[in-house]
Amino acid sequence: MSQPTNPHDTGLPGALTDAAEEVVRRVQRSLVVLHNGRHGVGAGVIWSRSDGAGAYILTNYHVVAHGRQVRAALEDGSEIPTRLVATDEEIDLALLRIEQNGLPPAMVADSRQLRVGQLVLAVGHPWGQRGAVTAGLISGLSKAQTRGTRGEVEIIRSDVRLAPGNSGGPLVNASGAVVGINTMIVGGDQGIAIPSHVAQAFVEQATKG
Amino acid sequence: MANEANPLIALSDAMAEAVEKAGASTLLVEARRRMPASGIAYASDLVLTADHVVEREEDIRLVLPDGSQRSASLAGRDSGNDLALLRLSEAGLSPAQAAARPARVGQLALALGRPSTEGIQASLGVVSALGGPVRTGRGGLLEQYIRTDTIPYPGFSGGPLIDANGGVLGLNTSGLAHGGIALTIPVGLAWQVAEALRRHGRVRRGYLGIRSQPTALPAVQQQALGREQPSGLLLVGIEEGSPAMQAGLMVGDILVSLAGEPLTDPDDLLVRLAGEMVGQSVPLEVLRGGQPVKIAVRIGERK
Repeated sequence: MSQPTNPHDTGLPGALTDAAEEVVRRVQRSLVVLHNGRHGVGAGVIWSRSDGAGAYILTNYHVVAHGRQVRAALEDGSEIPTRLVATDEEIDLALLRIEQNGLPPAMVADSRQLRVGQLVLAVGHPWGQRGAVTAGLISGLSKAQTRGTRGEVEIIRSDVRLAPGNSGGPLVNASGAVVGINTMIVGGDQGIAIPSHVAQAFVEQATKG
Repeated sequence: MANEANPLIALSDAMAEAVEKAGASTLLVEARRRMPASGIAYASDLVLTADHVVEREEDIRLVLPDGSQRSASLAGRDSGNDLALLRLSEAGLSPAQAAARPARVGQLALALGRPSTEGIQASLGVVSALGGPVRTGRGGLLEQYIRTDTIPYPGFSGGPLIDANGGVLGLNTSGLAHGGIALTIPVGLAWQVAEALRRHGRVRRGYLGIRSQPTALPAVQQQALGREQPSGLLLVGIEEGSPAMQAGLMVGDILVSLAGEPLTDPDDLLVRLAGEMVGQSVPLEVLRGGQPVKIAVRIGERK
């Protein structure tokens, strides 16, 4: 297939498109697709770990629940087994580990600094399509009741279009840093994400000592 | 990539600024059971909201952006345009600013609402279409409307549609069109209604006392008018004692303009009479025996 040569876009729309393309490319490198046998498919984010041995993958608890062997499909097409490190059903998060070195971890933003109206992109595996991107903004910052001992958890509302394959995948800001983990859809048209600072605390708790 | 050089970050920051600015003038309105709604600070003691969310005239509760509560009463309502004005007992709101330019198709737009005490909410889209006049599901005639692809989340009715600078483009409501489709009343029209409600407690609609039907204007009559106008309004009836009768209008006259604005169908006349014309003497142009005649008519008020 021959590649047509595209003249570079010019002006502000072109600059916006270039910036978005760079952000998306960076985030896609840190995205994994998780296959959970007959329990379906979700997304995950490569999360940095300090010791550099292997990699962590952060995802939703409901993506890996009930599965015996969750496999991670990487950007290069390889599929490798994962090991479950920790779960927190109350905030729907799970941490997996894979024995593969050199994977690029996602940049993580401090979600406590978020403002309603900021631009966000969701990258995941909706419609069975790896790395698909949808855009919108932070619709609201609020709290949701949980069933466990926490009682409530902070959540991010976004108007980004999500599909089930977005579960566990990243919601990123305009610099491409993860601000949340896309977790559910409410009312058919609002995305709910677990803020990255909640996710970070979960990872730190799970990997302590 | 340096932040200053990344236009995506600049756009993101600008949208957050816009939400913060307009959010400071967006209130939570509790005037019906169960479903909350939003409102826009029109003046320091006045809030414009959608009429269909106001189900009681007293004991209306407002939550300000800072979380404080106020009670308000109904200052006036215009059901036809689905607008209601609420009055606070004390001032203290920061009034919203209208956008510098009216909405344009393709323009970025954000719908804002304050459906709960948790804070402002927003949804992003573009201006999809401009339209009107259209007869509303509430017996009115909406002169213009804006449609967007923003998501009208529950509780957004009565809140503002804003541009990327935080200027108000209009007021969002899902109560105007059949099937609960969200429309936006352009800010020019919304402010005009708000001003009428502030002054009179109602929107006064002009009244001529005629029955008419649209009729095509032959080329020779358009020539006599000195302009291209495909149709006018043929008078087929005049009410006894009405402003039209007092002005000397006759059955068979063809109305072609009111206050300098062409009349091509009955909706044009309704739109023209919706303005602040009641009690004023305005020039009416008619074709009588094929010749243009100017007649002054004092507009009455429709009861």
